[in-house]
Amino acid sequence: MKSSADYARYDDERLISLIAQLQTEALDQLYERYNRPIFSLALMIVGDRATAEEITLDVFMRVWQKAGSYRADQAKVSTWLTHIARHHAIDVLRRRAVRPDQYAVSLDEITPGVPFPAQDPEELAEQSLRRERILAAIARLPADQKQALTLAYFGGYTQTQIAEALKQPLGTIKTRIKLAMQRLRDFLRDEQEQEDKSAQALNTYNMSEDDQ
Amino acid sequence: MPEETHVLDLLPAYVLGSLDADEASYVEEHLLSCWICRGESSTFQDVAEQLSFAAPAEVPSADLKERLLQRVQAVRPRARVPAQATRRPWLERLLPVWGLASLGLIIALAAFTLSLWQRLNQLEFITAPGGMRAIPLSAVDATSDATGFIIVSGNGDNGALVVDGLPPLDADRQYQLWLIRDGERTSGAVFSTDEENYGGTRVRVAGSLLEYSAVDVTIEPTGGSSKPTGVAVLGGSLFNP
Repeated sequence: MKSSADYARYDDERLISLIAQLQTEALDQLYERYNRPIFSLALMIVGDRATAEEITLDVFMRVWQKAGSYRADQAKVSTWLTHIARHHAIDVLRRRAVRPDQYAVSLDEITPGVPFPAQDPEELAEQSLRRERILAAIARLPADQKQALTLAYFGGYTQTQIAEALKQPLGTIKTRIKLAMQRLRDFLRDEQEQEDKSAQALNTYNMSEDDQ
Repeated sequence: MPEETHVLDLLPAYVLGSLDADEASYVEEHLLSCWICRGESSTFQDVAEQLSFAAPAEVPSADLKERLLQRVQAVRPRARVPAQATRRPWLERLLPVWGLASLGLIIALAAFTLSLWQRLNQLEFITAPGGMRAIPLSAVDATSDATGFIIVSGNGDNGALVVDGLPPLDADRQYQLWLIRDGERTSGAVFSTDEENYGGTRVRVAGSLLEYSAVDVTIEPTGGSSKPTGVAVLGGSLFNP
């Protein structure tokens, strides 16, 4: 009989394989890892807590019912979850006749230092680190690129809709979104390389200490 | 593939879902056959995932997990039977579709052996005796479990489409199959899926199906569109690799 501590040690892919075997404890553990970022993303997109909670439930129900078809070679588990959540939330948004705060979505008020409330410190420290990293990257973008990117990602608007809303040429919006994504990618890649080098240096140091 | 045909500039907006439908369809078609752009697209997918962590940190209600587990228990009796065991075998599922097709095709279908059907399930491109071909389709969205096949008669005059993993749509929408030649799309079928996410239909097009290079399936208003307006959910190349 596995304990909850056993499930906590399993990586995401292992949990998915256990969910495919209908082990609710594995779903419970995956929920503990990802309910906050999934709910936060849904809330950012749809703007009300009740709908965001329904979307969060739908995401984990889909995982429960579709875990057997998950393919690790095509996407990480976290990518799979956020992809389902974002598309579901935007679908909900698009079905609404009127968006209450049309084009009002903004990343400007987000404070980089606010962490996800921690339950399992180790796991959620990782999520907080990812959050700090992407917010730092976004903070480096020019305001016009940040605005276009935010409307596309969190607002679910097409480039054409963004151009009309901001009264800018379509080509300008296309360029802003392209440059924003390229800059984020380059920044995140540089950060990852720095972390890898630091980890490697630490590893080398520890090995030399063991030899002495 | 010549560099000028790549879609690198469109990929950032593509992964954000912010391209217009015609551009998105163009990118999807290109990605089916270009590993360079698929690799590039993957790097932007990673950025999109990271972006989700930029949302302000919020915590759902304390009882949400309990509600989730209650829902799981509610569907559990049905889920307890392994999904694969409850699904009809491919051949059995195909039969209603082939009932719509010509008698000649049905007879030709009999030439398929059990091993061929096993290979179909492994997403191989199959050519049967007589030139009949079964061409696998895969989900455009990497996180989707949708699959399908187009079966084309030896002379290309007849075809059938079978899909699995596509959820039934609301009354206002249907799936539409497009056959692609030189970037132009021609409608091949409009169809719906059942509660098992399964569907099938005869493929009808002027001329031979062998004249087309690729296919995709989009979501369109009921009755179909004259050109794609919705997102693509399945795609595949008609060229034998």
